Amino acid sequence: MISAFKRQDNWTLIGLFVTLLLMIALFSWQTEFFFSTRNFINIGQAISIRGLIAIGLTVVMIAGGLDLSMAAVAAVAGMVTASLITLEVNSVLVGVFGIAAAGVLGAFNALLVVKFRINPIIATLGTLLFYRGLAFVSTGGDNIVVGVNAWSELGRGSWLGAPITVWLFLAVVVMGMCFMRFTVAGNHLYAIGGNSEACRNVGIRVDRLRGWTYVAQACLAGLAGLMLTSQSGTALPSALNGAELDIIAAVLLGGIALSGGRGGLLGTLLGLLIIGVVQNGLIHLNVQIYWQSVVRGAILIIAVTLDSLRRGGGYR
Amino acid sequence: MAMSNVSKAFGQVQALVDVSLNLYPGEVVGLLGDNGAGKSTLIKILSGNYHADQGTFEHQGRSVTINHPADAQALGIATVYQDLALVETRSVAHNIYLGREPRRFGWFMDRRKMEKDATVMLDSLNIRLPSQKVDVELLSGGQRQAVALSRAIAMGGSILLLDEPTAALGVEQTQQVHHLITGMRRQDKAVVVITHDLSDILDITDRIAVLRQGKLWAYVPSSETTTNQIIGWITGVAPPQIQNGAGQ
Repeated sequence: MISAFKRQDNWTLIGLFVTLLLMIALFSWQTEFFFSTRNFINIGQAISIRGLIAIGLTVVMIAGGLDLSMAAVAAVAGMVTASLITLEVNSVLVGVFGIAAAGVLGAFNALLVVKFRINPIIATLGTLLFYRGLAFVSTGGDNIVVGVNAWSELGRGSWLGAPITVWLFLAVVVMGMCFMRFTVAGNHLYAIGGNSEACRNVGIRVDRLRGWTYVAQACLAGLAGLMLTSQSGTALPSALNGAELDIIAAVLLGGIALSGGRGGLLGTLLGLLIIGVVQNGLIHLNVQIYWQSVVRGAILIIAVTLDSLRRGGGYR
Repeated sequence: MAMSNVSKAFGQVQALVDVSLNLYPGEVVGLLGDNGAGKSTLIKILSGNYHADQGTFEHQGRSVTINHPADAQALGIATVYQDLALVETRSVAHNIYLGREPRRFGWFMDRRKMEKDATVMLDSLNIRLPSQKVDVELLSGGQRQAVALSRAIAMGGSILLLDEPTAALGVEQTQQVHHLITGMRRQDKAVVVITHDLSDILDITDRIAVLRQGKLWAYVPSSETTTNQIIGWITGVAPPQIQNGAGQ
């Protein structure tokens, strides 16, 4: 146990957890309705769709990659599923095609990064614009209204008092944590992020594993797009526009390094919760909406600065 | 293991010219030469990281090709690189078994077995570390070398290539590494040690190979040469002298 606390990552997690508790305490003390089951469910619902994408991004970044296109992928997946619903395609196929379409976009990201060796920031900045454009072009910029359908339950239903979106998010978090910690492939992803050349030397299939992280990330974004569409009954080509920066902020706040090899899904979950709690708490405090971005930015900057100082150096 | 007439060029630079070298189990070969003489290139060709432009390889009398690190691994060739090739952010145990992690149910890593095996491995080599669970980034240079050597041995290789294993080490740790090398000889491994350190080289090796400007300049039993003669070969003052193994 003592050796566990010597690990740097664990200190990051403790710091995040304490911060989260302090935030909850602060808002509970300052506002009347913050501390209630109903409100915590609201927070959970607010973070779960973006959270799905953040989980995928965490895995990509642990392996030393980056994906900026994930929100655009979710928008495309939302448009695909909504068009298929309007065409009255079998509802199971709607889900399969929607997520598969996202997977194809992820495979294209993987092709650029792994095969053509393009820096992931540049490659996925390109595909971000490309995919977002596709989402708009598909309908000439119009929304697709699908109303109530077979998939509505996914976005609007609840189970055991909590929304299905929250359960699904938590299920993916737990599965992701088990995958990264207990499987050989998950441990290889950590090692690849730490030193990909060393992994190649011992015969680990670095490119194949890295490629799959982009596909998995896109499939999760596709699921998020499907959930958004079913929740609102409408697919927007502008869905999650700009959310990519918030998602990256949550992941970085959770202790994932841009250089890869560090951090974990628990950190990302805490990062998402902190941002979700702040966002929700500021609304309860009746703070002008524009302060939201200022506060989130400040939290991210303070968190990574403290982390860098504690590691004794940081970015070199 | 025998390599014959191996050549490699990087653009205009001829890094290796017609190098032929035989390795035998239970023998330690010291590979020497000045900077840029082609030592590291030779090691990287044997380990499959570079592809030789020309030349043939024989392993236990059979002709083989080495195009990929996996080919080298299949032949039992294990390498410890100069830059160690360790994953800083992973534990000692994972670094030792990287790429060959013990598995359970096919997909899952048997962490407990890995850590137990790592402890046994480190103990058998008399290597002292704070814990095999600690991340490599927290270790000293000598400790990292020990981890890298442990990995090469854990690979179960019959041919071990060590690229400057003592370059960053203090006197006592250098002694320990030399002890490891003689231990490997006793286990019937074929060992190649690249080094700049001439002080103990005649004691720990069975043969000395000297590369000069990409050519094999000397290949002689350690018992039949002296430190001064080796320096002569490295600098090109002494004439070439090659006795490529028994019966040749």
